[in-house]
Amino acid sequence: MKDFFETWKFRILIAVAVFLAGLLLYAAANGRLTAAPQELLSVAAAPFQKAAAWVAGGVGSVWDKYTSIDETMAENEALRAENAELRRQLAEYDQLKAENEAFRNLVGIQEDHPEMSFVPAFVIGRDGMDAFGGFTLDQGTVHGVKRGDTVIDDEGHLLGTVIEAGLTSCRVLTILHPSFNAAGVVSRTWDNGIVTGDAAYAPAGQCVFTDLSRESMASVGDEIITTGLGGVYPPDILVGRIVSIEPEPSGTSVVAVIQPDADVLGVKQAFVITDY
Amino acid sequence: MESRRKRRRSQLYKWGLYVLLLLGCTVLQALPGFLRLGQAKPVLLLPLALAAAVWEDEFSGALFGALCGLMWDYTAGKTAGLLALTVMGLSFVLSVASQLYLKLNTLNFALVSAGALWLVLSGDFLFYYAMPGYSGMLARYLAYIPLTVLLSAVLAVPLYRAAGWISETFKIDNGVI
Repeated sequence: MKDFFETWKFRILIAVAVFLAGLLLYAAANGRLTAAPQELLSVAAAPFQKAAAWVAGGVGSVWDKYTSIDETMAENEALRAENAELRRQLAEYDQLKAENEAFRNLVGIQEDHPEMSFVPAFVIGRDGMDAFGGFTLDQGTVHGVKRGDTVIDDEGHLLGTVIEAGLTSCRVLTILHPSFNAAGVVSRTWDNGIVTGDAAYAPAGQCVFTDLSRESMASVGDEIITTGLGGVYPPDILVGRIVSIEPEPSGTSVVAVIQPDADVLGVKQAFVITDY
Repeated sequence: MESRRKRRRSQLYKWGLYVLLLLGCTVLQALPGFLRLGQAKPVLLLPLALAAAVWEDEFSGALFGALCGLMWDYTAGKTAGLLALTVMGLSFVLSVASQLYLKLNTLNFALVSAGALWLVLSGDFLFYYAMPGYSGMLARYLAYIPLTVLLSAVLAVPLYRAAGWISETFKIDNGVI
């Protein structure tokens, strides 16, 4: 073992470690999550992830159908071949149906916001390490997605923002994350505030509306929408409804807990607003 | 004693299978809803890297660990290189330890990978959640880490066996008995 530290193999390992450390420093210094080698890996992994997301019931509980077909196969051996063919057709049908639905929703959203450009996308990755529901979409820079684009669900509700765009996939920071900040307004009273995430509410899929004036007439059930102030997020995107209003620790303002209209922790299909 | 060409081909198949296993683990680890229990979801890339490090030598194990770590950085949305360095280091240490001190079998490999995973996840928790001072993070720690470690340790067993099978099947026959 002592000899190993004097071999070329050990020098290569040291070089790889230095390279990785450099990669880490480069990515951190540029405020990025990924660097070129990892983007290549993500390009390789994205099609597999996309396929697996379809197969695993990303669009239509294919798993449930698979298990029920399994039971049928056990009951009737003679129908196995036919069932397998039907299952394949069903998966294709589910895929086409989901795509069709996605484009139909896109037309609906497009009619509501004719000034916006959208890219439809599917969630292909979620990692348990992200406590705030961050996910990976199957659209990247080659599809026109870029860092900072707003992400909404198929009904036009705010989900988050693109924090990193790779060639064929992108990473989304959700509205549950404390680093997320968007100018918002209570649609009924026009009180201003900031939509952001809070670690205490994120596990329940909720976010908060901070800096709300103590004199605000906002109440439970009011809808929060984006204002578009700052130019980061488009205006009039629905965020969610107020479920409770609590005093802020300093006492200068109040915090409204929001139940997002979008299912942030379980969403499977999304739209990226590439221009507005 | 095998010919050089046969050995090279055998090594190519071996690492091709390891890479396929890596892609499979990446996909399953990031698959929405896959084996999700509450907030917990199994981590497969670290046990795979450790399994390869145990069955191969410290050099190949560490390089494969770096690749697994890069993939984990990608799926978890972490800064590139962070988990890669960590997994590379752990793979190297475990490979050396298994050659010099530890006699690993399926059960204690599951325990070792559980320990390593606990270490990595706790470090991640410390830097990304505890240090920023988010509220309610102890609940997150308890709901996420122990169950994730348990799920991953269970899945480390088939990964260890798969890596063992790949390593033994494509072992170089150098003629030494």
